[in-house]
Order: sequence, then C-alpha cells, then structure tokens
Amino acid sequence: MAEKKKIKKEKEPDITFYHPDLLEVPEKGLPYLKGYKCKKCGQLDFPKLSPCPTCWGEKFDVVPLSRKGILYSFSDLYIGQPGLETPYICGYIDLPEDIRIFAMLKGDVDTFKCDEEVELTTGPIRKNADGLEIISYMFQKA
Amino acid sequence: MKLQRDVYIAGVGETVFGKHKMDYDELGRLAAFQAIKSSNIDKPGLIESAYVGNAHNGIVTGQTIFKDIGICGKAPIINVESACSAGAMAVHLAIKDVACGLTELSMGVGAENHTLRRKSGTAFMPAMNDIEAVHGGVMTGKYAMRATRYMHETGATIEDLALITQKNRRHATHNPHASFKGDYSIDEIINSRMIAYPLTLHQCCGVVDGAGAVVVCSEEMIRKLKIEKPVKVRGSVVTSGPYHNKPRDITGDDITEMTSSMLYEESGIGPEEVDILELHDAFTIAELLYYECMQLCRKGEGLQFLRDGQATYGGKCVVSPRGGMLSYGHPIGASGAAQVAANVKQLRGECNGYQVEPIPQVAMSHVTGGGLSGTEHAACTMHMLTSDW
Repeated sequence: MAEKKKIKKEKEPDITFYHPDLLEVPEKGLPYLKGYKCKKCGQLDFPKLSPCPTCWGEKFDVVPLSRKGILYSFSDLYIGQPGLETPYICGYIDLPEDIRIFAMLKGDVDTFKCDEEVELTTGPIRKNADGLEIISYMFQKA
Repeated sequence: MKLQRDVYIAGVGETVFGKHKMDYDELGRLAAFQAIKSSNIDKPGLIESAYVGNAHNGIVTGQTIFKDIGICGKAPIINVESACSAGAMAVHLAIKDVACGLTELSMGVGAENHTLRRKSGTAFMPAMNDIEAVHGGVMTGKYAMRATRYMHETGATIEDLALITQKNRRHATHNPHASFKGDYSIDEIINSRMIAYPLTLHQCCGVVDGAGAVVVCSEEMIRKLKIEKPVKVRGSVVTSGPYHNKPRDITGDDITEMTSSMLYEESGIGPEEVDILELHDAFTIAELLYYECMQLCRKGEGLQFLRDGQATYGGKCVVSPRGGMLSYGHPIGASGAAQVAANVKQLRGECNGYQVEPIPQVAMSHVTGGGLSGTEHAACTMHMLTSDW
C-alpha cells in the first residue's frame, strides 16, 4: 500500500506591488499613474473602470497622468486602520486632468497645507499577508 | 419614494446606548419589544414583516433577534446592511411595505454590539476591496479632510468645531439613553486626544452598543390599535451616493443635498418648517456642513447659524435634541432606527428632562452610510415625521 503522503499546498506569495494597472514604475525615468480614456465617450478615469461607468464602453487608451497636483485636503491620522503604524497622513490630490486621487502622503505631520503642490512618489502603504511591504503610489511636497 | 397611502408610526423603542455585555440580539429584542408594547400590540400575529439593520454582527441577525419573541415563522424577516444607514433603511423598508399595501403593520429595527467584538484603538474603515481603504483610508480621516478644507476656506477654528460637541452633549444632559453628556468645556474638547487632525476624541462619536425599533402601520391599523398620538410619515427617502473620481467640494455633501431636496419635495415640508432634526453628527464637522447641505441656512453660513444659537433651544431648528451621535455614540447598524425613535418621542412630548419646548410638530432625521471611494457616502436615508392628532 502506498504510503500516505502529507500534501502540503504551496501558498502563493501575496502581492508586494499595488497595482500594475494603476502605477507604472519604469526602470529608467519617473513613476506615473495610468489614466484610462474611454474610446467611446472620451471620459478619462482613475482608477481603471471597465466598463466605463458613463457609457459602458469597454475599450480604453492608457494615458500617463500628470505627476504633480494640488493637495486639496489632508489629515494627519493618529488612530488608523488596524495594523498600520501611526501617525500617517492621507490626502486628496487634484490632478490637472480633472481627477482626484486619494493617497498617503510622504512627509511629517503638521507640515502639509491645503492647496500646496505635491508630486507623485512611491512607497510602502501597508504590509502584505507575508509581512512584506506593499509598494504603491504616494505623494510628497513638490 | 412617493408614499402610495398614508403610513403612521404606532410605537418606538430604544435601549440605553453605551458599552453593553448584552449582545446585539438582546439589545434588538429589548428595543423591538418596547416598540411593540408602546404600539398596544399584545400578540405576535399582527406583525407582518420586519427589517433589521446591522453592520458587523454576523448573519441572520434579524431572525436571531425575533425568534425569542415569537415572530419567526409568522412573518418574513429581512436583514439590511448599508453601514451607518442600515437602521434607517430598515425603517424605510417597513414603511414601504405598508405604503404599497403589502402589509398593514411592519417593523424596522437597528441593532449593533461593537464592544464585545471590536479591538479599541483603531478606526472604522471601508472594505479592503476599496482603493482608498488599501491606501489607509478610515472614516475619521475622511471627515477630518472635510474639516481641514472647511477651516482652510472659511477661517473656522477647532474651537468652532468643538461648539457642536458642547451643544449636543448639553442637549443630552438629562437623556438616560445617551452615553456622553453634560457640560464639556471647549478646552476639554479640543485638548482631548488627537484622533485625526483636526478632530479630537470628543469631536468623534463613541464606539458603543445599542438598538432602536419602530412599528409602522396603516391608518386603519393605527385606529384599531387605539394609538393616542399617531405620528405620520411624511417622507422616507433612500439614495445611493453619486460616483465619480473628479474633484468635488467636500465642504458640501452631494448625497445629503440630493436626499434632503427629495425629502422636502416628497413631504411638501420645507427646511424652514422643520422643528427638530437628528442628523449624522458622527464627527463635529459633519453637523456644521449639513446645516448648509439641508438648507437650514445658506451656503457658507453654517458657522454663523451655530454661533447665533439657531441649532439649539429657541433657534430656527433644534439640531440633535437627543444629543446626536456625539452623545449617544454610534453603533452603526442601530443609529438610524434610534434617531427615528427619538424623534417620535419628542413629537409626543415624552422626553422628560430633555423635551424640546414648545413640543415640536415636524421632525426630520438623516443618516449617511459607508465610506466608498469615489462617493461622499455610499448611502443616505432621511425621514420626515409630523404629529397627527
């Protein structure tokens, strides 16, 4: 009789990058966010939504979004999500393409101001199930 | 929703809001049975449908609440979830059943126990499949950003925001159902622990447990039950939040503006006629913005409205007469139903020690629900009630 073998399921590693559809980090050059322009109605959106919520078009052109925007508002968070170290800072960034991005801000508490210019960067937003950092888009003072 | 026929509230119930050892089902049952008794209902058979709002306490919450009081097997029980709006949405659905003629008598309940399950020291957040949640978004942060922008645009200060807490907790001073009440100095409020700048601990609703319940019925049934003080439902509106990723003015609130306009139209009652209002004051800034969103005053005049005493006794509209969420705390599935219950008691003059005088005749309630990226809120539910005796 064949020996019973304990079959251990290989666990797939959790993600360490969020998310290739949203953020491009070229080997050379600066990272950028990817906007999606609907080929049917022309609406530019971020994040990627398919179908387009306005016209249900399903084809899109990828458009690199501006790397600089205006910090519309922000908050220094002292009580945060379970598992996230505090304090951390979140904000809304308005891009010239008429798109608002919610992102973590890289920098110190008590230093940001509404309507100042910020630019795209990347950094760890949280840890994954394996305890490794997940890298995503962030913004910092320009 | 245009009401197809007249709908009345026969009775209501609410528990004490605070940290409870009783789980949600026991709290829900307490509130439900209070509502049933105050509706002069003396046997289970009259209740033809029940809706139960809850957010975090698991599955078949409504059936768990009702099985011990003999409703299971006699009526459909439907569970409702839309974060903070769930309890009010449950009441809305009960109203809808009666309004459409599907039932003569239905119940809406909201019940929630957070403290038996929830680890303290963390903030409520949207689901992790939400792009803002993945990037650290929490509800405190969402409201704090509104406050930051409001202060930037208007020159308002943290001291101004603290006036909301001070007013609401003063309203709740003698309300036995409220958790946080009495006199709080502005210094005490602004120097409490920082949660999400500029919102300090005392500017945020507490994480507590509780339940509220509402019995609604037809005109014929209200007579049959011999209800002395029937409260008429003049409007009940549920909306979902407009979604887009374009810049929007967060010192306004598109979904509250839309829902209140619909409610005014449906009820034929304008903002100037509303005597009392329970709104979603989960954080101080919210109440301030909602004065403007609901047209209690003009855009940009919210702070003046507050400072002039228009939102308290003797003002144009007593806002948060029970003390609001800043005094009750906010068990998220329960609050919406509890607001309706509190408003009914005010209209009936039953709020010994915290009764608004003269006794109000028009009461409005408002509760949004859910932090969903691309929206201001996922949901909003509002009710307009009048005394009818």
